[in-house]
Amino acid sequence: MLEQFESFFAALAAQTGLAHFWWGNLVMIAVGVTMIWLAVVKKYEPLLLVGIGFSCIVSNVPGSDLILEGGLFHYAYKGVELLILPPLIFFGVGAMTDFGPMIANPKLVLLGAAAHLGIFVALIGAKLIGFTIYEAGAIGIIGGADGPMAIFMAVKLAPHLLPQISVAAYSYMALMPLIQPPVMKLLTSRRERMIRMPKMRQVSRLERIAFPIVIAIIVNLFLPPVAPLITMLMLGNLFREVLVTERLARTAANGVMNVVIVILTVAIGSTMAADKFLTWQTIEVIGLGLIAFVFGTGSGVVGAKIMNLFLKEPINPLLGSAGIASVPIAARVSHVVALQDDPENFLIYHAMGPNLAGVFGTALSGGIMLALLMPS
Amino acid sequence: MIVPDTLQGAVVLSVIDFFLSIVMIGGIGVVLALLPLLNRLGRLDDTSLRGDH
Repeated sequence: MLEQFESFFAALAAQTGLAHFWWGNLVMIAVGVTMIWLAVVKKYEPLLLVGIGFSCIVSNVPGSDLILEGGLFHYAYKGVELLILPPLIFFGVGAMTDFGPMIANPKLVLLGAAAHLGIFVALIGAKLIGFTIYEAGAIGIIGGADGPMAIFMAVKLAPHLLPQISVAAYSYMALMPLIQPPVMKLLTSRRERMIRMPKMRQVSRLERIAFPIVIAIIVNLFLPPVAPLITMLMLGNLFREVLVTERLARTAANGVMNVVIVILTVAIGSTMAADKFLTWQTIEVIGLGLIAFVFGTGSGVVGAKIMNLFLKEPINPLLGSAGIASVPIAARVSHVVALQDDPENFLIYHAMGPNLAGVFGTALSGGIMLALLMPS
Repeated sequence: MIVPDTLQGAVVLSVIDFFLSIVMIGGIGVVLALLPLLNRLGRLDDTSLRGDH
């Protein structure tokens, strides 16, 4: 009789998550708690880190039904896997974004490509240490500092690396104010940082309406692999700029964005199970992501200095590092670094030009990569 | 896959991608530089466009 009770309780215990709990789960729960702490106390990307952190905690409690097939987090991940969520994020972003600074000064869009050298340094570095070229491409895109694009490329090229790539991309975006300034100051003189930019021209309503239509046509014609992302970005922007669909623009920028952010963050966190995340690969991806950011910052600044060799009116090289697609963080960093040398040098509006162009730069880099690695 | 899964392939991919993206974004820049020509067609009044639909 006693043995029967014993085997009863043993069978019950074996079905609980506690029976399968290992130290790796504890580490990842601590990672999740740290993310929530960073979000709440340090105010680092709270909209992203709270959801990712919480679902990371839940995913590391063995037996949680939420992450199993049929569970809510499992279906949230389907939204990522089927590439439904990243275009919807871009839809909301487009509805919130004023592309005026980019339209007003077209020559600065070149910085949106120059600042992406980091993608390729990381790609080559990843190949050097043994990743496949598909994995290397997905890792390299971290350097574009574009979360939805990083997710998009990871799902296409290396879905098994999605947790590491998305965590690296979003974490480094939040850390840009720490990573970028030393590189920017190393590559520029005080005199260069104090260059003031001329006042920008006003962009007309007609130009603002034509912009998303023209860009959607160009991207669909020349880069179909990334057309879903850029097309939705442009649709959201069109809703914003035509002014006759303000409620749709508001819905895209608020309701849709908020719902998608919740689903996306729990989906990303749900992939951070200890057995998949606590690997040497994760450390390598995170290290390569940092290399991508540092080189991208540097190449953007150097790109601006190269442009100055050909321009009558020099541009402030700090605008170059804003070419990394993390909108508006990279632009804000350029603005703040400029203010440190000249408290009246307000670069934010000018820096938004290359910052927005960086979104296209990342999309172009990713699209060309997909076309070469996965031709249809 | 057009590009081989080797270090050489990674370098070739990177060089082509980087320079092509500069060319394509330059093309977008040219298109943006031409957008002001649209203003010759007329002007849209923001006040008349605004309204809840």
